[in-house]
Amino acid sequence: MKRFAIVLFIAVAGSSVFAQVSYQRLLNADKEPQNWLTFAGSYKSHRYSPLTMINRQNAAQLKVAWAYQMRAGVVETSPVVVDGVMYLTEPPSTVTALDVLSGRTLWTYTPNIPADVIVIGSPPVNRGVALLDDSVYFGTVHGHVMALDAKSGAVRWDVIVEDNKHGYYLTLAPLALDGKIIVGVSGAETGIRGFVDAYDAKNGKLLWRTYTIPAPGEPGAETWGKGDGWKTGGGSTWLTGSFDPDLNLLYWATGNPAPDWNAENRPGDNLYTDSVLALDPATGKMKWHFQFTPEDLHDWDANETLVLFDAPVNGRDRKLIAQANRNGFYYVLDRATGEFLTGVPYAKQTWADGLDAKGKPIRKKGIAPSNEGTLVFPNIQGASNWFAPSYSPQTKLFYQAAREMGTIYYRGEAVYKAGTAFTGGGGRAVNGDEASGAIRALDATTGKMKWEFPLLSPGWTSLLSTAGGLLFGGTDEGNFFVLDAESGKPLWDIQLGGQVRGFPISYAYNGKQYIAIAAGTTLFVFSV
Amino acid sequence: MFRLVMKTIASLVFLAALVLPRLSAAQSVSDIDGGKTLFGGLCVTCHGFEGTGGSGPPLNRPKLLRAPDDAALRVIISDGIPERGMPRVRRTTENELRQLVAYVRSLGKTAKSTVRGNAKNGLDVYGKLDCAGCHIVNGQGGTLGPALTDIGALRGPQYLRQAIAEPAAALPSGTLAVPGRGYSEYLPVRVVMKDGREIRGLRLNEDLFTIQLRDVSGKFQSIRKTEAELVRKEIGTSLMPSFSNRLSATELDDLVAYLSSLGGAR
Repeated sequence: MKRFAIVLFIAVAGSSVFAQVSYQRLLNADKEPQNWLTFAGSYKSHRYSPLTMINRQNAAQLKVAWAYQMRAGVVETSPVVVDGVMYLTEPPSTVTALDVLSGRTLWTYTPNIPADVIVIGSPPVNRGVALLDDSVYFGTVHGHVMALDAKSGAVRWDVIVEDNKHGYYLTLAPLALDGKIIVGVSGAETGIRGFVDAYDAKNGKLLWRTYTIPAPGEPGAETWGKGDGWKTGGGSTWLTGSFDPDLNLLYWATGNPAPDWNAENRPGDNLYTDSVLALDPATGKMKWHFQFTPEDLHDWDANETLVLFDAPVNGRDRKLIAQANRNGFYYVLDRATGEFLTGVPYAKQTWADGLDAKGKPIRKKGIAPSNEGTLVFPNIQGASNWFAPSYSPQTKLFYQAAREMGTIYYRGEAVYKAGTAFTGGGGRAVNGDEASGAIRALDATTGKMKWEFPLLSPGWTSLLSTAGGLLFGGTDEGNFFVLDAESGKPLWDIQLGGQVRGFPISYAYNGKQYIAIAAGTTLFVFSV
Repeated sequence: MFRLVMKTIASLVFLAALVLPRLSAAQSVSDIDGGKTLFGGLCVTCHGFEGTGGSGPPLNRPKLLRAPDDAALRVIISDGIPERGMPRVRRTTENELRQLVAYVRSLGKTAKSTVRGNAKNGLDVYGKLDCAGCHIVNGQGGTLGPALTDIGALRGPQYLRQAIAEPAAALPSGTLAVPGRGYSEYLPVRVVMKDGREIRGLRLNEDLFTIQLRDVSGKFQSIRKTEAELVRKEIGTSLMPSFSNRLSATELDDLVAYLSSLGGAR
């Protein structure tokens, strides 16, 4: 009897300990492919699953295992999965825990969002949560970051990141490091001053804040002219960054300068907007930066996913960071130093005659927004955007959905009033039959295209590659499909009846692999 | 007499109080000029020079169906009417919005009708050409082409003239909820299946792997693209023939006048 009690105790204690998502588990996320522990699958942001139960041979037999209907709104969620529980977010800022076998709700939590919440610059979306130890962390559209108990959804802490009355709001999944929760903010279209914040995971205390726009006297301030433009200069930090534990560098990308289409009050390069920042995770101190689009006139935020991989360049092994930027160029940098290595277009662009040796764009004349409108490619939402690429260590390819579309860009007045649109213009997309899209497989080191799979329209699809040799993606028209990751050949597809804006992820339970994707307001889970 | 004068003056002051502030708030000359410049950049492509209409509705009329008052007009300029094909072209400041409203309202007060034909005669032309074979007006007619019951409120006379003379150059776009998002509507598609069967029809909808057509007999056709040898979207063509050689200049004017009168337009 005593022996039985001990066994029972170990079993209970064991399962309880197992449910803790320690920092060590996050560091070694690729060692437990049955789970999907972070927003992008790992700190390297590969969105690659090492699972092989679904593969080229059986992909055509994919079937719906279950579906979950979410609250109304625009769904751009990337679920995480740990030990049989899926945590996903619903619009605008709800967190829900689901049983991964049945799709039934275990708990759900919705914060009180005021009716007059200010969300300017994107739909009121939420892209996911971070797990650390026994808590679930998420951001809200009214500008809070919150910690919930992973087992019950009970609130552990609730902190205001910055005042929503000034247009700050959160749409990103936080990034959990060792005892820290890192978040960024949305809101450049209201003239915020962007920053990256680190909070103590235990109690929500602010550990450090690094502004993306320097104040007068700080390095880079000279790129804003002599006026007050820096105070309302934008530089949002609205998508989850990546992390290299060996170099101990946190990589975070920044968004457009404000006002978006009228640079009158911000003469200069506008550092550190449209950049990638390498930060010391202990202090937030900037180790290096690289700016993709100096003095941006087209709202080409550089917040897109930062993919970390290692590869030889010119015969030397390098630690690399890559991004398919909204401005139409694919960039590869040395992630230890920020040195520019490669930059090539991966989509139609009409604004630059290429990049110089330092990676700075050689801007064409006549591309500025105007009163009568100026047609420029890429479009106002960019050749890429918040939706994620995938990198497969198996194929060494960087997969990206490219948007082939132009916009007629207009310049307008820019008048700052707290909490209102501060954009100085805008644009009209040249859409319909004149626009298109494609999934492009790029050699990750050179950016050279290996294959492409044309899409009917420029979509919002994130991608997932797997060790089963597969690449999952979707379309604006509701298709969800699987391609052969080597060749781009389609293997299976289904019409899901709603725009695919979710992020596909994979997990396994009881030895069976599943693929989850949100389309419209429904989460679908597939298996073979 | 004195009381009457005072009463009259009081009434005038009261009336002026009602009328004058509204005029000065919405219609200052500099606002109208500023609005004209903005309109030239943002609105003219669809609504035409001086708001005479084009692929979008004419705005040179005292009453706008969807914008009975300035508040409604502001909402439309700020948000667009996406389900009817009008995008929010760009965000506007309060100042820009006031100017645009002032200019659009001024169009309804000053502009003359640009329709020169006789609508009554145009109805005869409509009958002679058997337009009702393909188009519905007030519930009567065929359904191969777009319904025309409100066409005068939705399109400008210039656009209607082009649609009669060069239909392929004037396919509507972004006006139907499906396929939506700026796709050409009533687009002819030619499909050759792998077994050699040929299908022609108008595109109703399309996704990456399938396309849905309505053929000339009105039958729905669903095609999986991988099962077709050829799926050709015949962009730049229309199933509607050009009527430019079958109409005199007067008849064309009259037909345009008739179509322009549909839907309560002038």
